[in-house]
Amino acid sequence: MSRIRTVIAIAVAKLLICLSRLLGNQGTDFPGRIARIIDPHILEKLAANVKEEIYIITGTNGKTTTTNMIARILEEKGYSFVHNQAGANMITGITTAFIKEADILGKKAFAYALLETDEAYVPLLLKEITPRVVLITNFFRDQLDRFGELDKTISLIKDAVRDTEVELVLNADDPLVVHFHNDTGLHCWYYGFEDTDYDVFEGEESREGRFCVFCGAELQYERFHYAQLGKFQCLNCGSHNPRRNFTGHDLHMSPEIRFAVNNLDIYSPYLGFYNAYNILAAVSVAKLVGIQDDIIQRAIASYKPQAGRMEQFQIGDQKAIQILVKNPTGLNQALAALINDPSSKALFFALNDNTADGRDVSWIWDAQVETLTSPNAGVSSITCSGLRSGDAALRFKYAGFDEELIRVEDELEAGITACLSTEAEIYYLLCTYTALFPIRKILSRLARKARGKTMGNIFNEKLTARGE
Amino acid sequence: MAQFRIAHLYPSLMNLYGDRGNLITLQKRLQWYGHECIVEPINLGCQIDYESFDMVFMGGGSDREQELVCLELLCQADNLWKELENDLPALFICGAYQLLGSYYESADGKQLKGLAFFKLYTLSEPERLTGNVVIASRLNQEITTVVGFENHAGRTYLDDESLQPFGTVLAGFGNNGQDGQEGIQYKNVIGTYLHGPLLPKNPQVADFFIKAMANRKGLEIKGQLNDLLEDYAHQQIKRKTLGG
Repeated sequence: MSRIRTVIAIAVAKLLICLSRLLGNQGTDFPGRIARIIDPHILEKLAANVKEEIYIITGTNGKTTTTNMIARILEEKGYSFVHNQAGANMITGITTAFIKEADILGKKAFAYALLETDEAYVPLLLKEITPRVVLITNFFRDQLDRFGELDKTISLIKDAVRDTEVELVLNADDPLVVHFHNDTGLHCWYYGFEDTDYDVFEGEESREGRFCVFCGAELQYERFHYAQLGKFQCLNCGSHNPRRNFTGHDLHMSPEIRFAVNNLDIYSPYLGFYNAYNILAAVSVAKLVGIQDDIIQRAIASYKPQAGRMEQFQIGDQKAIQILVKNPTGLNQALAALINDPSSKALFFALNDNTADGRDVSWIWDAQVETLTSPNAGVSSITCSGLRSGDAALRFKYAGFDEELIRVEDELEAGITACLSTEAEIYYLLCTYTALFPIRKILSRLARKARGKTMGNIFNEKLTARGE
Repeated sequence: MAQFRIAHLYPSLMNLYGDRGNLITLQKRLQWYGHECIVEPINLGCQIDYESFDMVFMGGGSDREQELVCLELLCQADNLWKELENDLPALFICGAYQLLGSYYESADGKQLKGLAFFKLYTLSEPERLTGNVVIASRLNQEITTVVGFENHAGRTYLDDESLQPFGTVLAGFGNNGQDGQEGIQYKNVIGTYLHGPLLPKNPQVADFFIKAMANRKGLEIKGQLNDLLEDYAHQQIKRKTLGG
């Protein structure tokens, strides 16, 4: 009876995946949700088909990129694996990912599973599957309205891993992550950076981990690598960065990323310190899996960004770049990348407040939007769109932009058209999660249409040249 | 051109949910009205001369941080209260608002003593009250809607009939999700659960504080700012939350 249930659940969910693809949706959560109603044990059963190991990747920032990089490494090695794509990282999305890869009987075996998991869903997921490793990238302020404050999220995850056999892979530079060893007694692997040329020595106002998690005293930072990540100690109780198992050293970021992990040279076409952390985390996991050095190097060097992570669109002679932003840190990263680009630019920002975006949009006030108003940022206009276009517009106005430069268009397509109709060398389109795929679709369509037009023109020109 | 000074209490501890946007708003609007505004961060261990400030602001923090701040403020409570009675404008959000009462009781029964400026108290429950909120509030003799986002585990109860809430809840939870009251208002003091942040999309509330600051200096704020974007954002949330 139970097997029939499983087969029905898989069949129905696979059908739903096909249907939602036909409708042009991503089809990531709904099929899994329905399958779980038909067979509540579906995920448990399918996860049992993973013959080697399951890896859970969680944390506030960098989960998607880190998971995708590990996936690229396993692919390069030729291993089979299950992997939930593109941020579908709640338990329903993970269920969908398993079903997508399964055969109809639910018996097909895989070597590995890489599960990017939303922090809030880690406890739930651990009830159904047993991973070898949980990797925690970092904890930043993110979409807090879904589950209260950061402290609570952290303690929920701690409770979930305590009394299990999992190994933790942790960021040695994040004071909010490092106490997991003391509190759970689990085996921990640490990765982190040695001193780099890019470190800063003064903190900003909204750093999350300024206080010692053991005694509450203010932490003393010797240097900051990136946001709250850095070299710290507590003068009161003596806690400090743990010893690293995987050390990033000799970091160069101009413009692309080069560094070494325990003397293994790594090159990546990616930009930004946050991506150096993602690479370091991915390499650490690959070493734990036992992948050979040259395969790791090749995979990281050939890794391409995913949807919304600096994806480029060529629309006729206009260049547009789409960037997903989910929290102040992500927005700061996007703004930093934008300012580094010397071109004159038009900016588009779609701010939604659906559940997957986070219903509280106040985080935009924790980002340093003011940096955009410096003359060398070269921002010629801003179009605000989405369900909370008004909040977005106010953020830019109060950052110091002239009201005349700010335009509001709630509808995404109207907003994109308005943005592209302004004069600029490059167009940056920032958006929150639920606007990501709709915008991507619009941009792809515009790009296709423009290509079609150019082809048409060439064809016409040829006809004219031949005198027809 | 006059110079205004705002004390930002414990910014490194009480800085949840973009509340610093309130200070950016006050600073910019004062500039646009032709004045200058300086925001001074006050950290643990500072002695504060409240008399020298035109306004006081404190945002929300997590339980742990709230406790640190409360211990610090208890020593200075008399000075602060004297100035608040003297019409000093002050905005206290969420955790800072809870501190104004006699106590805060966490879900596990632990009691944290407050500053006891007002007869109100807060009981924490496991389930958080979260979402968009719209209230009707009386400011400068006019009734106006105020919009924001609330996210609190604490249920606050005004324990004295003579206490005036900041507003009446039209949508959302407010102080406790039961009695339809939101926040507290006393002279130029507002305590509230409204994040969002509060002031950018409620220019009437921002100007309430600005006028109060100016009044105390014997100044008059002249002119009218262009609030088209502010009103747009305000209406967007109101439409979404109240429907229609």
